[in-house]
Parts: sequence; C-alpha cells; structure tokens
Amino acid sequence: MNDTITKENLNDDQIDQDLLKNVNWGNKFKLWLAFLSVSLIICLYFYYQQLQHGLGVTGLHDYVSWGIYISNFVFFVATSLIGMLISSVLGLMNVHWVKPLARIAELVAVAFAIVAGLIIITDMGRPDRLLNVFMHGRVQSPIVWDIAVIVTYVAISVLLLYIPLLPDIALCRDKLKNVPKWQQKMYKILALGWSGKTRQFKIMNNYTRILLILIIPIALSIHTVTSWLFAMTLRSGWDSPIFGPYFVSGAFVAGCAAVIITMFFFQRNFKLQKYITTDHFDRMGKLLVLVALVYVYFNINEIIVPGYKANTADAKHVDEMLYGHESLMFWLVQLGGLVIPFLLILFKPMRKPLPLTLISIVVLAGAWFKRVLIVVPTQLSPYYPIQNVPEKWNHYSPTVPEIAITLASFILVLIIMTVLAKLFPVISIWEVKEEMNHNKELA
Amino acid sequence: MKNYKHYRLIILFCLCFLAVANVNAQSDWQLTAKENESLSPFLFDDDMILEGKISYENSCTSCHGMPGQADYTPMAPSPGDPASDQFQLQSDGALFHKIKTGRGTMPKFEDVFADDETWNLVAFIRSFNENYKQPVPDLGGIEIPEYSMKLAFDENIDKLVVKVFAKELPQSDVSVSAFVKGSFGKYLIGKAQTDELGIAYVDVDPTLPGDAEGKLDIMVKVTKGYGLAKMNANMIMAKPTVRKSAIEGRHIWSNDKNAPIWLKVSFFITIFGVWLVLFFIVIGLRGINKANKEEE
Ligand code: HEC
Repeated sequence: MNDTITKENLNDDQIDQDLLKNVNWGNKFKLWLAFLSVSLIICLYFYYQQLQHGLGVTGLHDYVSWGIYISNFVFFVATSLIGMLISSVLGLMNVHWVKPLARIAELVAVAFAIVAGLIIITDMGRPDRLLNVFMHGRVQSPIVWDIAVIVTYVAISVLLLYIPLLPDIALCRDKLKNVPKWQQKMYKILALGWSGKTRQFKIMNNYTRILLILIIPIALSIHTVTSWLFAMTLRSGWDSPIFGPYFVSGAFVAGCAAVIITMFFFQRNFKLQKYITTDHFDRMGKLLVLVALVYVYFNINEIIVPGYKANTADAKHVDEMLYGHESLMFWLVQLGGLVIPFLLILFKPMRKPLPLTLISIVVLAGAWFKRVLIVVPTQLSPYYPIQNVPEKWNHYSPTVPEIAITLASFILVLIIMTVLAKLFPVISIWEVKEEMNHNKELA
Repeated sequence: MKNYKHYRLIILFCLCFLAVANVNAQSDWQLTAKENESLSPFLFDDDMILEGKISYENSCTSCHGMPGQADYTPMAPSPGDPASDQFQLQSDGALFHKIKTGRGTMPKFEDVFADDETWNLVAFIRSFNENYKQPVPDLGGIEIPEYSMKLAFDENIDKLVVKVFAKELPQSDVSVSAFVKGSFGKYLIGKAQTDELGIAYVDVDPTLPGDAEGKLDIMVKVTKGYGLAKMNANMIMAKPTVRKSAIEGRHIWSNDKNAPIWLKVSFFITIFGVWLVLFFIVIGLRGINKANKEEE
C-alpha cells in the first residue's frame, strides 16, 4: 500500500486533467523564460569577452588553474547523480513512494549532466581545440575517461527520461488539442505510435529495466572518475584513496537537496499537492538525513586520517582547513551546510515542505562551496613552494566574468528544466494511475 | 623594593656588556701577518671559479647576497658585498682565513670546506675584480713546469693509467684527479699520485654507465705546486649502456599508443559495450510502432 499519495478518490480523467495542466505556454511562463533568457544573454556577453581575451579575464593563474569553473563542474556532476539513486536504486527496490518523483529526479539529472559538459568547455582557453581532446587524448588520462562516461551518462539519462515518458507523450498527443501545431507534431513523432498495447508496455518495461541497471555503474563511475581527476594527482589534500566514495556520497546530498527544491517549485506552481504530498517531502527529508550521515562519515575520515599524522603535507592541508586561511569557509560549509541542516531535519516539523525546501537551499549552497574547498586550496599549497612570482598568484579570487559565466550555467539548467516541464507532464501519469488503482484494490 | 633595585643593577650590567660586545664586534678583524700573507697553492682558473660559485650559492648568498648586487642581508656588523672594496682590498690570505674562522654572525667554515674548496671561494670572490692579479710566491727562479699527459685504460685491472710529462720527461709526485663529465657538472672518479715513472693509476668503477660502446667523457687534471694541466678525452672505460627513453614500453605515463593493454581493453570494452546496448534499445524502440500492427 502506497500511502504517500492522496486518499481522495480520483478518477482517471481528473488525474489526466491535473497532471497535464502544466503543459501550456502561459504568460507567467513566458515572463519567466524571458527573464531567464535576458539574464543568460548578459552572462553570455562575459563569455564572449573570455573568448576574445582568453582566460586572462578570469582569476585563474599558473598555480590555481582550476577555479570556480571546475568546482562548479564537480558540483553539477554531483547533483546529476541523484537520478540514479532515486529512479534506479530505489525504483529497482520497488520503493513505491518515489515513483511520482522519479521523473523529477531524471529531469534534474539530465539538465545538470548536459550543462556539466558545457562547463568544461568554459574552462578551456581555446575551446576551438576541443576536438583535440578526442583526437589526441590519451586513454590513460582520467580526463578522457571523464568525458567518455559523462557523455554516456547523459545518453542513458535522456533515454531513461524518454522511454517511461512514452505513454504520457501519447496522452499529450491524444488530449492536448489546443497546443501549437509543431507541438502536436512533436508529440506524434515522439510517441512512436504508442497505443497502450500490452506488448508495448512490455517493451517499455524491459528497456527501462535494462537502463535502470545500466545506469548504476555508469553513474557511480561518472562521479568516481570525476574524483579521480583529483585523487590521481599527487597533491596534498587530493592524494586520497577514499575520494571516489567520498564524492559519490557528497553527490547524493547535493542531488537530494536539488530534487527537494524542484519538487517544491513544481508542487506550488503546478498545483500538484495531491500528487507531491507533504508525506513525500517528509520521506525525501529522511533520505537527505541518511545520505548526509554517510557524507559526514566520509568527511570525518577525510580530515582525521591525514590530520593525525601531524607533520605530512596532507596534515598541513588539514590544518589550513581547520584553523588556517580556509577555516571560515570550511566551518561554514561543514556546520552550516551539512551538520546543522542535518540535525534540523531530524525533527518532523522541519520536514514540512517549506522548511525542508529552505534547508535544502542552504545545503545546496553549502555543497557548492564545498567543491570550491576541495578544488582550490590544494593548488595554493604545492609541494614545491610558490616563490618568485607576482604577489597575486598567492591567492585566487574569481573575477566578474568568471562569476557571470558560472551563473550562466545555473540559468541554463533552469531553462532546460522549465522548458521540459512545459512540454511534458512532470509526474508520470500512467504510473500514478496504476498506483491509485492498486491502492483501491487493496482498500 | 630592595629586589627591584637589584634588577636595575643587573639590567645596567647587561646593557654595558652588550655595548662593549658590540664595540668589540665592530673593531678591526685582526689576523696574524702570516695568515694575511698566505697564498693559494693553486692558480685560480675557470674550474675553481665555477666550483666556488656553487659553494657560494649554497652557503653564502643568504647573508652576502650575489656579489656586485649589494643585496646582502642588513645586519650589524654588515656582512658586506664580496665584490666591494671591503673585500677586494684585502689579501687572499685574509679572505681565506676569515672564511675559515668566522666571527660573530659570520659562521666558521673550517669544518665545512677543505682548504682547496675554501680557495675556490676566494677564486670566485676574486672573479668580480677585473684588476685582480693573483700573487704568486717568489719561486726562487724555479719555473712553473708545463705538464702534458698520456691516457690509457687498462681493462684488466679497471684502472685509468695517466702518464705525466714535462719537457718529455716523466714527472713523479704529481697529483692526478679524473672526472666524468655529466650534464650538470663533474663527477670525481678518483685521485692518485704519479710514481717514479711518472705514472698514476686511478681506480675506475667498472659499473659506471657509458654510452653504447662503453665510452665516457672524462677530464683529467694534473697539479703540482703552480703547475697545472688538464685534458679531455672520450675513452672506452665503462659498461656499454643502451639508454632507454623513460616512456618506452607500455606505461600509464606513456603516450596513447603505448597505453597498457589492460587499460585499453577495459576502457573500450566498457564504453563500447554500454553504447552497443543503448544502440540496440534505440533500434528496438521501433518495436513499439510495430506492436500496433501486429495486434490488429
Ligand atoms: C649567517 C650569515 C653569513 C653567512 C652565511 C656568511 N657570512 Fe660572511 N660575514 C657575515 C657577517 C655578519 C660578516 C661581518 C662579520 C664581522 O665583521 O664581524 C661576514 C664577513 C665575511 C668576510 C669578511 C669581510 C670583511 O669585511 O672582513 C668574508 C670574507 C666572508 N664573510 C665570506 C663569507 C663566505 C665566503 C661565506 C660562505 C661560505 C660567508 N661569508 C657566509 C655573515 C655571513
């Protein structure tokens, strides 16, 4: 029995109507999209500057060559991992309550994964040489592995979003008569002639299952390989064998927070209170507690093991974090972004939609700064000390173009998610019907 | 109160002591006449200057800076710039002994450098003085001999054989030192003295890596008093070595072509395997449309 969905008796027509409501081009949406587009264009102007003058317009230099671009990249890859946890791991375990959330998680995954790939390009001084990475890349390089798995992950995520969407696309094709012509045509093509035959369901279920299984190792490897970009380099603070699981567990924290925020946004805007219920937030809150707990565990390992060995370079790095130059950001991120939110969510009232969403925003922001803490300080304390270089090379602070380009990546994610959410129902209609009927039978 | 007075006395005493000590430090650095007059037993040459430069950069720059740049560390008494008159107006012997014995903050280098190394330092300091002419002791009419030498390698006993001549006569009691020339300086093979026949035998480590034929680039230096000669040679005297590129063979750190097989296989199988599955799924989606017709 699935008790996260509403107890109300809803008939199929009502459900169709509720869940298809968001598929339209209302004025509110147009305004929002216009706002996003204008912001994006402003940010892209800064990228144009960077194209013209090179990475000199950023705060990057010989010592810190990976700044907020790469931190942001790691953050995006991390966030996109949630698709795997929710739709695949929990889905395969037959956890019923996540079903209405699976598509939202996939949306988050697709949007963040696609943009993650673009962020890498912004970190290149000569993006016109992008193809060289493919033509002359060394198979020994974690960067090549990273590109390979991320492209694969995007492909699987898109398929995993698309295939279970087929019955709903068919529904859009059949029910939505007052949308633009091109849109009707698009539904017709994308529905692949779906008509709800048992055989069709069988094909869909089979493929979805294969993909759900396939995505687990691929998702694990995208973030493990991303962590290897660091861990396979001999630098204090990066040279750590637990980086893979440490990154993966951190990814689930960021991803859970992102899904909760998206859920809240969809629930309020599309009036989906009957489908995304308070109970859903409660359970997502519990899931967040669980993954945060695992992440805290890894963080403790990450700090205490090198920190104990007093005089090594890694211990000095830990020292910088705990008491030194980075300590303010470190403690804000650890306490404010992880431990305090985690303790708060332990209390049931804090798992109500609004408080949980606010906490998730803090967690997500903390997760972003956490990536900066992983990427930047290590580069500022190389084994061979920084000397005889311009004074400003002893620090790193991002410049306005750099921040704007980073903002652009977030705007792009929002654009992708809103456009997709306006084209397709954000909750799997056929699955909800199935669940409700199942509930009725049990009742 | 009584105690307090006591303290004042002690402080006063200390201040007096410091003042006296300071005056003492700034007074002239007295050396004996003999020390002042001692001369280098070697003629300063480029080799000595180069070796002196290396020692100087390791042990002296921190206080004296680079000679001629006046970038010495400000302290009292001032270390001074070795290219300045403060140093150059002194005798070779004075510099030599001051380096050896030190004073106050100027460390004592007696136990750090052997005499010839200290003379290297003096040679280096002198190289900044264009007007400097090395004083040579009165040799009482004895000419400085001009040495020449012949080199051979005896592979049976792994010894470099050096025969030293002056005016075509073998010379005994000449010091011989042999070096391998490397990319970043010289490596001492060994030292020996010539016997009555003018021959010196220098032990050669037979495991030294030579080139493909076992040849080494060597430099042999012979000295006795102010007599000095050097000779460069390229001789077969070491193990033939075929030098391998550091990235030769299949390694993680090699180029793409030479990636380890296991890595290539696992990487490409995984990626292509997954894409193959995706490809089949995309193709298989056509079955959805077909299913319509089948059941009609
Ligand atoms: C710790 C700092 C320090 C180092 C290292 C040092 N010196 Fe000095 N040196 C001094 C000071 C200070 C004086 C002046 C001492 C005095 O006048 O009492 C001095 C004096 C000298 C003098 C005598 C100069 C004079 O005016 O008579 C010579 C020669 C000299 N140093 C050579 C060297 C050489 C060669 C080295 C390296 C092998 C060296 N020093 C390393 C601090 C140093």
